[in-house]
Amino acid sequence: MNMSYQIIPNVELKKGSNIMVYGPTFTGKSMFVRSIFRDFISRGYGGIYVLTKDSAETLMSWLGTGYDSRKVRIIDCVTKSMVGNVKDTDSVKYSTVMDLTGISAKISKFFEDFWRSGIKNIVVVFDSLSTLLMYMNLQTVFRFLHILTGRVKITESIAFYIVEDGMHDEKTIVTLKQLFSGVVEFKEDNGRKYVRFVSPFMQTEWREIVVDEEAVVVT
Amino acid sequence: MKVISGIPVLDEMIEEIPEGKVLTYWIDPEVEGNVFAMQTLFTNLERDCRCAYVTLTYSPEVVVSEFNEFGWDVENYKNFNIVDLHSAYVGLPSNCKYSADPTNVDEVNDVLMKVIENCDLVVVPVSSIIDVCGESSIECIGEWCDFIRDKSSRLVFTFVSWPYPEKIENFIKVNSNAIVRVGGVHHRVILGYYYGVVKVDWKNIKSKAILFKLVRPGGVRAYIPKILVTGPYNAGKSTFVHAVSMRSISVDRLGTTVALDHGHLEYRGFSIDLFGTPGQERFDPILKIIGKEALGVILVVDSTKPETFPRAKQMLESVAHFGLPYVVAANKQDLPGALPPEEVRKKMYLPEDVPIIPVSAVNGEGVYEVIDSLLGLLTGRLWVSEDEPESTA
Repeated sequence: MNMSYQIIPNVELKKGSNIMVYGPTFTGKSMFVRSIFRDFISRGYGGIYVLTKDSAETLMSWLGTGYDSRKVRIIDCVTKSMVGNVKDTDSVKYSTVMDLTGISAKISKFFEDFWRSGIKNIVVVFDSLSTLLMYMNLQTVFRFLHILTGRVKITESIAFYIVEDGMHDEKTIVTLKQLFSGVVEFKEDNGRKYVRFVSPFMQTEWREIVVDEEAVVVT
Repeated sequence: MKVISGIPVLDEMIEEIPEGKVLTYWIDPEVEGNVFAMQTLFTNLERDCRCAYVTLTYSPEVVVSEFNEFGWDVENYKNFNIVDLHSAYVGLPSNCKYSADPTNVDEVNDVLMKVIENCDLVVVPVSSIIDVCGESSIECIGEWCDFIRDKSSRLVFTFVSWPYPEKIENFIKVNSNAIVRVGGVHHRVILGYYYGVVKVDWKNIKSKAILFKLVRPGGVRAYIPKILVTGPYNAGKSTFVHAVSMRSISVDRLGTTVALDHGHLEYRGFSIDLFGTPGQERFDPILKIIGKEALGVILVVDSTKPETFPRAKQMLESVAHFGLPYVVAANKQDLPGALPPEEVRKKMYLPEDVPIIPVSAVNGEGVYEVIDSLLGLLTGRLWVSEDEPESTA
């Protein structure tokens, strides 16, 4: 299995990377991380997807049937608040956006499940941190992320965290960036969408992208 | 009215939660430790105590469903109260008898003190309150601790140990009469969970760590950790298991193990089951089955026979697949020609951070150092002091 993964042309991620995916709404961030997630699963990775805006059902229906369901674990932070009484399964666990301890414990349990079944290459997607920041203050979210990003590093996994541009002040973004190894930035200009990667060691040019219901394609 | 924790083993240690006391469940952020407080509450609810559960991160409906998940039908008890800080926080009306807006410190204070007056036991998620109301809310929490001292109630705090400033941690420590740590057994990922009393001011107790699992329905269940003892044929695995165990049994045929060695050990507060696997390749499937359940591995090698090291490495790789921490026991150090640990490391190409302990299992030398080393890896040395072993083996 490859030790690195190319998320956009000329950008290879090392294991242990925590990546912020940042940009305005409707620029393709969620589709970008979803398609990366699906790609990692098809390469044999175990995948943990934390949803704070969509239900597990939505994600599973998008993933369809063409994937190895033993390699997908979902934490749904939406359904429990709406339905109340909903039961966890082996692959889907329910929490709420305010219960950071519950989310953290469930992610940890999934890590354990994967390791105990011999899957040590893991990708984590968090869609999105902005929802957490609507309910909890920055300090609290930062503490939560401090633990999660540490777990990702120590297990040499790869994680993506979506943050919405325009929802948070600059201090919040700067504070959060301290926790990440790089940022995939999205922007929209004259109806066209672009992406680039920025890290302390490199910055790519803006590349135009095409977003559809299945994937994000860098042109 | 006597209030107990309702947690296995813990009640034998602390006996009760006396009136006017604060017991804190100090929870690792990646561990589902809130269940401890829920179990304490439900146990006492069944004993006719008046109990209250403060909720901030979950709506009252979700709280009830969380209890139900563990088989605890709290809504059928008239002596159960929810203190709803959630609804006001998310802008919804509350149907609970007790409710307050968590951003209004005075309102929360008034409600909490009323609840303390009217209940025998109140469960409070203090870290959630600190998270939502800010770090200055510890003053408010301190007032509840002072208020309860001469009351007939008790407070049970859940404190999730996120990386808070030291002053907050110290504040909770100072204001708690008892602290029960609920943690994870870490080895890159969390492989198991434990709890243990780290402070109690109404009894003299000896620290003890108990491994647990969460059962739905059922709640917290203590269990005995399995340690796998493996290694090539005739490396001394059975001798090792017998040397450290209080009681042990081997299934032998013509002097070699053909099924399993099993030993039990009470050591440094842990209750441990040791499983020794046969060394021959035809028994490797057993290795994999036990490896899935084990918490750690002791690899026993014959230090006088480097030609068996490749087989040892192969066995290690079978179980390392499960991500388990391991320690190497460089056995037969009493025999001439035994390689010292560093030579064993070189010949086995083992990384520097893998502990290799010199052992003579037949003389019982070094065997407890091996157990110490593995417990240290499993618990981050939290429960392993530098004192002499206190085995009852």
